Amino acid sequence: MTRGMAADHVTSVRMPDDFDAFWDELLARAAATPLNPTLEPIPLRSSDQVETFEIHYDSLDGVRIAGWYCRPRASYIPPPYPALLQVPGYISEPTLPKSWAKLGYAAVGVAPRGKLRSNAQFNPGYPGLLTHNIVDKETYSYRAFYIDACRAVDFVQSRPEVDASRIGVQGGSQGGALTLTTAALRNDAITCGAAGAPYLTGFMDAASLTHSQPYEEMNEYMRLYPEREEQVRRTLDYFDCINFAPRITAPMLVTVGLGDDVCPPETAFDLVRAMSGPVEMITSPRCGHDAGIYWTQSRIESFLAEHLRPAGIEAGR
Amino acid sequence: MSINPKPEDFGAYWQAVDDELAGIDPAVELEHSLLRSNEHSTMYFVRLTSVGPYRIFAYLSIPHGDGPFPALLQTPRYGSVNNPPHFDDRQRFVVMTLMHRGQRLADKPYAAAYPGLLTEGIEDPATFIYRGIVADCLRGAEYLLSRPEVEGQPAAVVGDDLAVLTAARRPGFTAVHYNLFTFYRMMEAAPRTAAYPLEEINEHVAFYPNSADRVARTVAYVDPLHHAPEVKGKVLVNVGDPGSLSGPEFLEPLMQAFGSRAEPYVVSHEGGTDHDAADAWIASQLGSVPKPRLWLEAMG
Repeated sequence: MTRGMAADHVTSVRMPDDFDAFWDELLARAAATPLNPTLEPIPLRSSDQVETFEIHYDSLDGVRIAGWYCRPRASYIPPPYPALLQVPGYISEPTLPKSWAKLGYAAVGVAPRGKLRSNAQFNPGYPGLLTHNIVDKETYSYRAFYIDACRAVDFVQSRPEVDASRIGVQGGSQGGALTLTTAALRNDAITCGAAGAPYLTGFMDAASLTHSQPYEEMNEYMRLYPEREEQVRRTLDYFDCINFAPRITAPMLVTVGLGDDVCPPETAFDLVRAMSGPVEMITSPRCGHDAGIYWTQSRIESFLAEHLRPAGIEAGR
Repeated sequence: MSINPKPEDFGAYWQAVDDELAGIDPAVELEHSLLRSNEHSTMYFVRLTSVGPYRIFAYLSIPHGDGPFPALLQTPRYGSVNNPPHFDDRQRFVVMTLMHRGQRLADKPYAAAYPGLLTEGIEDPATFIYRGIVADCLRGAEYLLSRPEVEGQPAAVVGDDLAVLTAARRPGFTAVHYNLFTFYRMMEAAPRTAAYPLEEINEHVAFYPNSADRVARTVAYVDPLHHAPEVKGKVLVNVGDPGSLSGPEFLEPLMQAFGSRAEPYVVSHEGGTDHDAADAWIASQLGSVPKPRLWLEAMG
C-alpha cells in the first residue's frame, strides 16, 4: 500500500517577494565580517597521509564557528587540492573527514552554531533548533545557521593549498539541506553538490506527512500554538530549500528513499522540480532516511570526483 | 580466531558497579512536558542520580489509558543527541529514552567529546568512561521497570552494545534488539575499518604505541560477548554482509554465547524494510501490534 505518487505532490511553499533581498543582505553582512580563521593541529587524529586540524572562524552576530579540517600531507599528495565541505545532519556530529582527505580533498567538517564546539553562544538543543524563535524570519534559528555553513566556503577560499575553482559540498538530511542552501547562496563558488534525503524542504507539508523527528517538533509546536500557523509559514518560506532551488547553478545529485518517514519524498520531488540547474535524482524503493546509501554511496563519490577531480582518486589511491 | 579473553575479575568489576548504584538514592525528579505530550501519551522529563554521583536524563512517555502497558527502553546511541521516543512507539508502550552522562540534557558538568568519548579513560578499567555509562543505563532500566504502569508486562530494550549489557545485568527484559556493534571484538574490528567511532581506537593505539594491551584489557569488560550468557530474554541480532564487521562469520561467537535465545536478522540495507522487520519483532515480543512505516511508501 502506498500513499500515492510523490512526484505528483503539489507544494504549499510560497516564494516571498523579498526572498533574494533578505539573503543578499545577510550575505553582505557576513562578507563584511572578518573571518579570523584559526587552525590548531590535532596530532592524535592525523596520520602519515592526512593532517587534521580543529578550525574556528567568525560568522554572523559575532559567533565563533568550529569545524574539522583534514588535508592530504604534501608528501602523500601535493597541492593544490579541491575542497569538499561536509555539512552535518540534525542530530549527528560534524564529520571528521579524514577519509575524504585521503582521497585528495581538502575537506571541512562544518559545525554551524548550536553544534558541539560551536554552542557556547547559541544552544537551542535537539529537539529545539527546528522551532527556535520560529515566529519571525529575523529571529529564526536557521537564519545564521545557513550563513555559518556558507562561511566554510570563505574558509577554504582562504587556504593557499586549495584550488578555489573546485569546491564541492555534500551531506545527508539536514546536511542535504545545507548542501542546497550553500550551493544556492554561494553559487559564485560552489562547483557541485550531493544532497541526500534533503530536510528543511517543504517544512509544513513534511510535518503533515510524518510523525518522525525532527519534523514532529513542528507538530508539537503547532499543537501548542495553532493560532500561529500563518506566522510560522511566513517565516519558513524564507528558509525552505524549495525556494533556494532556483538559485542553484552547479550540478547537483539528489538521493531519496521512497519510504523515508523522516523527510517525506514528496518534498524532494517538489524540490527537484524547482531546480533550474543540472540535477540527477536517484530514488530508492523501500529505503527510508538512509536514502539507499548502501547502493548510492559509490555514485555520490564518483559524482563528486567527476566534478572536483581529486588527485588521490585520479591516481587510484 | 583471536578473541579478547574475559577478565578474571569480570564479575567483581560489575558487581562493584551494582553495589555502588544500590548505595545511591536515584532522587527521581519527574517533570511533565506539555510541549512534547500528545493526543496519545504524556511525556515526562526524568532526572536520576547514577554513580559518581552524576545526574542523568531520560524521556519517559506513558500512553493514555488504564494500562498496564509493555515497556520499551532505548539505550543511548554514540553521539551527543538521542531523539525523543517515536510517536508510533508512544501509542503502544511506556517508552524511556536515556541520555547517559555527557550527552545533551545530561551534559553538565561533564560534556562528552565526539570524537573522544570512546577512548576517555580507556587505559584503566576503573577510569573508563563506559563504566559510568553502563551504570547510567542500569539506573534507567531500574526506574523504568519499577514504574507501576508496566507492572506484570513484558519489557524490551533496544540499542547497541549498551542494550545487551543492560539486559545482561537487569534480567527484567524479555526481549533485546541488538542493532549496532561497537565493543564486540573491538580490538579485532578496529584495524579493519577507518570509520568512526572505531577509528578513535586506531588513533589512540597509533598515538600511544604501548597502549594496545591496556586498551584491550579495558574493553574486554564491555565486550557483549562476555555479557551475552547472562541475557535471559530473546535477542534479535542484526547481521550484515558476509565479510563485514557484522557478517555472520564474525558474529558466530556472539550467537553461540547467546545460544538458542538469539535470532539473526539479515539486514536488507533498505531502511524501510529493516525498520518494519525490527518493529514487527518487538511488537510480537511485547504482545502488541506492528506499526509499519513502509505502508506509507510513496511512489516515485
